[in-house]
Amino acid sequence: MASNKKYWRSVEELNSDNSVVDQLMQKEFVEEIPTDAFLGDKESLSNSSTTRRDFLKYVGFSTAAASLAACQGPVLKSIPYVVKPDNIIPGVANFYASTMADGSDFANILVKVREGRPIKIEPNKMAGTWGSTSARVQASVLSLYDNNRLRGPLAHNKTTNWSALDSKVVETLNTLKSNKEKIVVLTGTTASPTSDKVIADFAKSFGNVQHVVYDALSESAALDAFETMYGLRALPNYKFENADLIVSIGADFLGDWQGGQYSAAYTKGRIPVKGKMSKHIQIESNLSLTGANADNRIPVKPSEQVFALINLYNAVTGSSFASNKTPADGAIKNIAQHLKKIGNKAVVVCGIQNAAAQILTNALNEALQSEVFDITSPRFVKAGNDTEVKNLVADMAAGKIGALLVYNANPSYSLPNAKAFNDALKNVKLSVAFTMSDDETAVNTQYVATTPHYLEAWGDTEFQSGQFGLMQPTINPLFDTRQFEESLLTWMGADKKYYQTLRDNWSTSILNGGSWNKALHDGLFNGKNTVKLSEKKVDVSASATALLKETKTADFELALYAKTALGDGKQANNPWLQELPDPITRTSWDNYMTISAADAKALGLENWNVSDGALNGSKVNLKVGSIVLNNVPAFIQPGQAKGSIGLAVGYGRTSGMQNEMMTGVNAFAMMQDFNPAQTVSIEKVAGTHEFACVQLQHTIMGRDEIIKETTLDDFINKPKDEWNKTPEFSLNHEAVAAEKVDLWEKFDDTIGHHFNLSIDLATCTGCASCVVACHAENNVPVVGKYEIRVSRDMHWLRIDRYYTSDMTNEKAKEDGIFGSGEMFNTMMIPQENPQVAFQPVMCQHCNHAPCETVCPVAATSHGRQGQNHMSYNRCIGTRYCANNCPYKVRRFNWFKYPDNKEFDFNMNNDLGKMVLNPDVVVRSRGVMEKCSMCLQKTQLSILTAKKEGRPVKDEEFQTACSSACPTGAMVFGDVNDKKSEVAHITKDDRAFHLLAEVGTKPNVMYHLKVRNTEES
Amino acid sequence: MSHYEAPIREPLINGDKSYHDISVDVAAPVEGRANKLWWIAFSIALIAFLSGIGAIIYTIGMGIGVWGLNNRINWAWDITNFVWWVGIGHAGTLISAVLLLFRQKWRMGINRSAEAMTIFAVFQAGLFPIIHMGRVWNAYYVLPLPNALGNLWVNFNSPLLWDVFAISTYLSVSLVFWYTGLLPDFAMLRDRAVKPFQKKIYSLLSFGWSGRLKDWQRFEEVSLVLAGLATPLVLSVHTIVSMDFATSVIPGWHSTIFPPYFVAGAIFSGFAMVQTLLIIMRKVSNLEAYITRVHIENMNKVILLTGGIVSVAYITEFFVGWYSGSSYEDYTYLSVGAATGPYWWAFWALITCNFIIPQSLWFKKLRTNYMWSFFISIVINIGMWFERFDIIVIDLSRGHLPSSWTMFSPTYVDVAIFIGTIGFFFVLFLLYARTFPVIAQAELKSILKSSGEKYKKLRGDNHE
Repeated sequence: MASNKKYWRSVEELNSDNSVVDQLMQKEFVEEIPTDAFLGDKESLSNSSTTRRDFLKYVGFSTAAASLAACQGPVLKSIPYVVKPDNIIPGVANFYASTMADGSDFANILVKVREGRPIKIEPNKMAGTWGSTSARVQASVLSLYDNNRLRGPLAHNKTTNWSALDSKVVETLNTLKSNKEKIVVLTGTTASPTSDKVIADFAKSFGNVQHVVYDALSESAALDAFETMYGLRALPNYKFENADLIVSIGADFLGDWQGGQYSAAYTKGRIPVKGKMSKHIQIESNLSLTGANADNRIPVKPSEQVFALINLYNAVTGSSFASNKTPADGAIKNIAQHLKKIGNKAVVVCGIQNAAAQILTNALNEALQSEVFDITSPRFVKAGNDTEVKNLVADMAAGKIGALLVYNANPSYSLPNAKAFNDALKNVKLSVAFTMSDDETAVNTQYVATTPHYLEAWGDTEFQSGQFGLMQPTINPLFDTRQFEESLLTWMGADKKYYQTLRDNWSTSILNGGSWNKALHDGLFNGKNTVKLSEKKVDVSASATALLKETKTADFELALYAKTALGDGKQANNPWLQELPDPITRTSWDNYMTISAADAKALGLENWNVSDGALNGSKVNLKVGSIVLNNVPAFIQPGQAKGSIGLAVGYGRTSGMQNEMMTGVNAFAMMQDFNPAQTVSIEKVAGTHEFACVQLQHTIMGRDEIIKETTLDDFINKPKDEWNKTPEFSLNHEAVAAEKVDLWEKFDDTIGHHFNLSIDLATCTGCASCVVACHAENNVPVVGKYEIRVSRDMHWLRIDRYYTSDMTNEKAKEDGIFGSGEMFNTMMIPQENPQVAFQPVMCQHCNHAPCETVCPVAATSHGRQGQNHMSYNRCIGTRYCANNCPYKVRRFNWFKYPDNKEFDFNMNNDLGKMVLNPDVVVRSRGVMEKCSMCLQKTQLSILTAKKEGRPVKDEEFQTACSSACPTGAMVFGDVNDKKSEVAHITKDDRAFHLLAEVGTKPNVMYHLKVRNTEES
Repeated sequence: MSHYEAPIREPLINGDKSYHDISVDVAAPVEGRANKLWWIAFSIALIAFLSGIGAIIYTIGMGIGVWGLNNRINWAWDITNFVWWVGIGHAGTLISAVLLLFRQKWRMGINRSAEAMTIFAVFQAGLFPIIHMGRVWNAYYVLPLPNALGNLWVNFNSPLLWDVFAISTYLSVSLVFWYTGLLPDFAMLRDRAVKPFQKKIYSLLSFGWSGRLKDWQRFEEVSLVLAGLATPLVLSVHTIVSMDFATSVIPGWHSTIFPPYFVAGAIFSGFAMVQTLLIIMRKVSNLEAYITRVHIENMNKVILLTGGIVSVAYITEFFVGWYSGSSYEDYTYLSVGAATGPYWWAFWALITCNFIIPQSLWFKKLRTNYMWSFFISIVINIGMWFERFDIIVIDLSRGHLPSSWTMFSPTYVDVAIFIGTIGFFFVLFLLYARTFPVIAQAELKSILKSSGEKYKKLRGDNHE
């Protein structure tokens, strides 16, 4: 619309008749430029001379000007919105509820989206247990920006387009249909009702279609057992929060066991309330995360776990099934007594991958009438059927399969007989892989129907009977991808998109009149529990007999396990997970054979530290049946049962991966018959393996005040000073609490906010979710294997893990070697079966911070809200602060980590950089960095509340770690808000400050661990 | 101006030297041509120096990560070398200032070179705090410069800032003191110079020294004033360097004994370095007459004294750490843990070099032996390097939390930079030996008649 406004320079102008004005308007310049005076007079012009000096001056100036103008700063591409999307305000994050279910991790989540980019996964607190985010769930957002993702569909390993792929595939499918040949849809556990419906419709459409579910980390045995006993293929639900006694036989229920997500429930019983806490006994071979948290851990070989289970069953029920002796028999008698005493508040869980063992366990729980063992709301997060998978490979080899569609599984990598599978694939007329990257299966199939990441897709889940979840896209698809269900719908010629199918399915069979919008907003819906069980009588005795028969024993038995970081290897190309130190071994970028010190000595295997402190180890060849794994590094693991070894699966990926991430060996090859327990032979080979281990000293060295712990008995019966004594100084010859002694004048920190973080060592399971959450929130760089190896890890938050040693200060005094080299050297050796303690350590935000006084340029200084700040711009990198930090939490940028091909991780490509949090600066080379107590988050909460004119609510104050913590062990908040949770627990008797005697007065506090050592 | 000196005291100038002989002897290296040995030594030093420069450029280009440091041990060779060179730079000022105030005439034969060594050593020392910075291009942030960034100011609480002032003050006062003493000697060279270019240079350097009585009077006054100024600096510099450690909270660093102990250690190592240089120099530059057995023995006595102080400090540290009963002291650089732990070799290198071997100087026969003195001076320099290495690396490698224990191993860049500074030091020293009057001949002439062998003999003959 043209403007009617008229601008004028003088009143005369308004009078249109004025000729003077007219005249003036015609001229560009009001006064004539006297060009003639200069140029007209040719003579004076030719007489005027430009001197040589002037000439040079002009040349010099113009050259300099031109070259200066040519110098250009780096071009930063910043493209404004042409049409701003309604719900995106630059600088303000949107949160969308969604669900992750990739076959190995299952969680209801919130996705933080900034300017259209998902950058962080947060737990969905509405979802209860299923809302916890593990390290892998936290890291999954980076897998969205994986640079090795496929950009579009492939046909015979060449790029193609969807219409070409569709026409080829549909043609073949129709031919197969008319020939009545078998089509198999092979998927990982989807736990998705609508997905299953689409597959069923697809089956209807193409006739001879079979849906086979395959889990790399299979729970087929437990499913079989449940099906046999209760007529439904599902997993029982364990309500650990109701348990007074938990006996676990090889079940890593804080890890991946039966789909995981048990830690929140478990830890509810781990804090003594009114003198009561649960007792946890773990019988296992590898030192698992669960075993590390147990009150009492009995290391036995995998075969002995089986015998122990039968013996326990006998002892509890009075049966006398045949079994063998185990070293744990004495303990088992006591455990059985204890189980009987506790009765229905006790539970036995079992990780033995044998249906008979699971039947025995279920029967045992029934015998106990356990309230913890809940079959009425079973879980659907594992559905794999090993027998069907085995038959499938055989059928493929026999040429009985016409088409194979593989989704959410990577059988070419994870099958024990992957080679047989790959060979058999050649007999299949049509093979399609639905995958995000060019993984091992994609390489071997004819077509790759490239799928989007779950953050780009629609979907739904039913993790547990009646507990539904919704998955929604949080970003436009980055690449030319199409989700699995969409492809199936297209191929069967359905007229609905998957989104519509999903909505229709929900409104007809799930929502039951509930609101779709609300369900989508919440990301979950509590529907009806429609489970119908038909209990059947099983012959437990026959199971026990079969179990004993099927159990093989050997000098060395291998127990395959999944690591906290990589799990089954789906996200092996995720640098955050590769760099995440294992909670137990504290080693990253590797898998390795764990072996007990005694066995290692017998085999001549060693671990040693080289001159820069880094850990090296011997190598072995492992042989299971005819399968040999060469050059497996040996890692001496305290707590490993003698005669057993452990080896993590999920490593040794070779395709669709970046070179740096292709670490370790593929242990799936050894999982014969899908059983993680195998008999194995070990052969030492020449060569040295270089580990990337971040903790090189495993025991506490008599410094018991670092991780305080006590027994339940002492905690109840003794005064606080006996188990949590505040350190004291002598001031004027009087003992004064260390906290009270002060050289400095203190400013009044009772005004405004004052932040404290509390970490409960009793409920911290060491799951490392906080480490990855911190990594994601704070743009922490990934530095790679070598830098980790030489103690240059950049994690702002680490979880220290300590083992107990046989040598203690008391014992040394008794032996008369106190203070001698002998004492020190023996103290460094962990016990054979140590107690384990975890301690998350980040910047303690000391009120008297040693780092602050020593910085020559005041680049690190104290904030009014208690945080210790880092001004990266001011830092010159003397590293004095890091030296003077008693907690060693400061991290130096030794190199330029972003945009550096030497550190080719997510910060070195445009795609990977999309995960960066715009609220946190990416640090440059040469500056120190460390935990900021998520200043950007607290500041946002304060400003939001201020804008809304209200006080900040306690739960609004969160750090990345406290919000990610699945067990609530980390509590963050404002201690000046007397009603806040953190202010409340500061006064708890279990609270202590780390290294309080140094006088740093930290704003991070710990709550000591209580062990329930009550005899069972 | 000669004073009386007892004939039983050993002469400080040997041989039948006249005033003219002294001038000739001192001017000889300057006026003569460099021999092959000098060129070889210079070439080696230059190559070392250049490799050091290369390593420094590489460090600045790539990042501190090219060194062997890690997130637990954030200092190692860099600050070890810094403290080592600062320590070495202590002897010069002590000899010229403190001994001047104590009227120790034997200093005159050695003070010039000792001071030159001081200045060159402080150059090397000053390099390390700068290049160890992660962002060396912002090094000027440590200066309290007025700026437009609001109240952005340096942190006066930080010992590193005190270092900045301490080292720069020490360097400037030492330089002025040294140069003042050089004036009459440059004038002597100017007066002897025959080549016009040389004459011009030395007349510029000698600031128009005329040798008038007034010149001498002012010279003496200024020397005294500067000596007064410099004396406290001898104590302050290393006191402040020691506070880099003493004011921290790290076990092994947090120690109140550090200031006097570090000062003694610095003098100990400084004298050892003077010893190393002069024992070579008196041979190479034909100065046996002026740097005599007496000088060597006197310096050995200072070494023995300061070495004793250092040894007492070691014992005290060891005892107090043990007596505290604190497990955090179990692994400090002087502890049972250090002696039996992974750094046992560094611990025992320190004990052997600084504690055991120097005890041999109690024997007159050994402390007057040139070869033994030379050997010991090298051993002490190694030992003192290890002392700083132990304090920094052993203490940091065994901090409060055992989870963070690790070790340090240098990279070739660490080594190249250290060797580079040694190269730089010798480049400077060799150039100095060829162009400067290496003995304070003007001062030396003042004691010729009291302490010269010839005159002592004459006086002795007269008495008989």
